[in-house]
Amino acid sequence: MTLLDLVALLPLIILTAAATGIVLLMAVCRCHRTTALFSMAGLGLAVISLPFANSMAPNRAVTPLLMLDTYSFFYMGVMFVSSFVIAALAYAYFEKQDGRREEFYVLLLTATLGAAFLSASSHFVSLFMGLETLSISLYAMVAYTRDRRDSVEAAFKYLVLAAASAAFMVFGMALVYAEAGTMEFAKIAAARGALEQGNHLVLLAGCAMMVVGIGFKLALVPFHLWTPDVYEGAPAPVTAFVATVSKGGMFALLLRYFVLIDVHQYPSLMFLFTAIAVLSMFFGNLLALLQDNIKRILAYSSIANLGYVMIAFLASGHMAVPAGALYIAAYFITTLGAMGVISVMSTKERDADSFADYRGLFWRAPWIAAVFTAMLLSLAGIPLTAGFIGKFYVLAAGEESSRWIGIAALVVSSSIGLYYYLRIVLTMCESAEDEAPVSRPSWTEATVLTGLAAALLFVGVYPGPLIHAAETLVASIL
Amino acid sequence: MEYFFLLLFTGLAAVLVGAGLLTSYLVAPHRPNPLKNSPYECGEPTIGQSWVQFNVGYYLFGLLFLVFDVEAAFLYPWAVVFRQVGLTGLIEMGLFLLVLIVGLVYAWRKGALEWV
Repeated sequence: MTLLDLVALLPLIILTAAATGIVLLMAVCRCHRTTALFSMAGLGLAVISLPFANSMAPNRAVTPLLMLDTYSFFYMGVMFVSSFVIAALAYAYFEKQDGRREEFYVLLLTATLGAAFLSASSHFVSLFMGLETLSISLYAMVAYTRDRRDSVEAAFKYLVLAAASAAFMVFGMALVYAEAGTMEFAKIAAARGALEQGNHLVLLAGCAMMVVGIGFKLALVPFHLWTPDVYEGAPAPVTAFVATVSKGGMFALLLRYFVLIDVHQYPSLMFLFTAIAVLSMFFGNLLALLQDNIKRILAYSSIANLGYVMIAFLASGHMAVPAGALYIAAYFITTLGAMGVISVMSTKERDADSFADYRGLFWRAPWIAAVFTAMLLSLAGIPLTAGFIGKFYVLAAGEESSRWIGIAALVVSSSIGLYYYLRIVLTMCESAEDEAPVSRPSWTEATVLTGLAAALLFVGVYPGPLIHAAETLVASIL
Repeated sequence: MEYFFLLLFTGLAAVLVGAGLLTSYLVAPHRPNPLKNSPYECGEPTIGQSWVQFNVGYYLFGLLFLVFDVEAAFLYPWAVVFRQVGLTGLIEMGLFLLVLIVGLVYAWRKGALEWV
C-alpha cells in the first residue's frame, strides 16, 4: 500500500476514525451536543478531503476491491453531505427525546461508511462488506426509538427481509463466480467474452438473483414490501437516511456493476429492468393515492422516484451516468427536505405523519409550510425545482436511447402522482383555528431547512455547475 | 466414470451406518423401564414454566466474548505470517486491535462488565 493509496482512501479513513473517535468520546463524556458536533465535523472533513483525494490520486484502484474514481467520489460527496444534514436533523430530533442519544451518531457514521464503500466497490467482496456494514447499522438505527412499538416492528421487518435478500444476492454472486471465475467487475465482462455463444444462462441467473438484493435496497417493485412500514416506523431522521444515503450507495453500485459487465448485451436482463422500472412507477404512484399517512405517501413516492431513475440506468451511452447522478442529487435534496420537515414537526411522543398535523400549516407556520410545498413540488417534478432538472435529464437520456416504454410510463405515472402531492399541499392550506400552534423550530432546524430549500431552488434555476460535475463522471467510469 | 467413486462412497457410508445400527440392535440387551425411556440431560422435564426471563447480562457477556474471540481468530494467522507481512502487517493489526479496545473501553465505561 503506497502513500497515494492512503490519500485515495482518505475520505473513508476519516469517516472510520470519526466513528471510532465517537465511541471513545462516549466513554469519556456523555454530551449530546459534543457528539453531534464531532460526527458533523468528521463528515465535513471527509467532504473536504474528497476534492483533495480526487486531484492527488485520480481514478485509483486500491487493491482489487475498491475503485476510487471521480464517479465514486461524486456519490460519496452527495452521501456525506446528506449524512451531515441528517446528523443536524437528528440532533434537533433527539434533543426532544429522553434516553441515550449519543450512540446514534456512531451508527450514522458506520452506515454512511458502508454506503460509501458500496459506491466505490469493484469486487463482490467489497460489495458484500459495504452492504452488510450499511444494513447492520440500519437495523439498530430504525429501532433507535425502542420504546415505540412501530419502530421495533419496522426494524424487525427490515432485519428479516434484508437478511433474506442478502442471501439471494450472495447466491447470485456465487453463480456469476462459478461461470466467470472472477469476482472483479471489470474481469467478469472479459470472462464472458471467452464463453461460447448461448452459454450465458448461469451468468444471467446469477445477475438476476443479484437484482433481488439490489432491488430490495432500492425499494423497487416487487421488492418494495418493507418500504412503507420501515418509513413509518423509523424515526424521521432515520427515514431520511434510508430514503437517501442507503439508496444512493446502492444505485452507484448498480450503475457501475451493470455498465462494466455491459448489461445492454442481454435483452432478457434489459427486459427485467424495464419491467421493474415500469412496475415501480405505477405501483408507487397508485398505492400512494390510497395512503393516509404522510410518511407512507413519501415511501411510495420514493418507490416511484427510484423507478424513474431506473430509466436513466436503462439508457445506454453517455447519458446514463450523468442523468443518474443528477437525478440522485436532486432526489437527495428533495427527500432530505421533506423528511426534514417531518422531523422538525415531530414531538417527543410521536412523529408528525398524519394529515391532521399539517392542517392549516400555512397559517400556523408559513415558512415550514412553504419549504414542505417546495419539496413536494420538486418530488412531482415541477419546473424551477431540482426535481424537474433531474426528471428532464432522465427523460432526455431515455429518449436518446429510445426507451419509449419507460418514458411513457414516467409521463403517465408522474401525472397520477401529482394528485397526492397536491393533496398534502391543500391540507396545509385549509383553515384551522383549533389546531395547536407549532413550536418554534430550533436554530439548527431552521438553518437546515433554509439551506435545503435554497439548494433546491439553486439547482432548479441554475443547474449548470451540477450538470457539469455530473458529466465529468462518464470519463471515469467508462 | 469419475462419479462412480462418489456413488460407491455413498453406498459404503450407508452400509456402514446401517450395519452398525443393525448390530447394536441385535446384540444389545433390551430391558426398558420408564426412567431409562425418559429424555436425557438437555431434554429433562422442566421444573415449573420454561417461559422465564433470562438475565440480559448473559447476552452482553456473549457480545464481549465475541470481541476477544474474533481478535484471537485473526491474531493466530497473523502470528504465523508475521515475518512475511512485516511492518505493514504490524500496523494493520495494531489498528484492528485499537478499534476492538476502543469498543471494550466503551463497554467498560458503560458498565457492561458489572454483573447485575
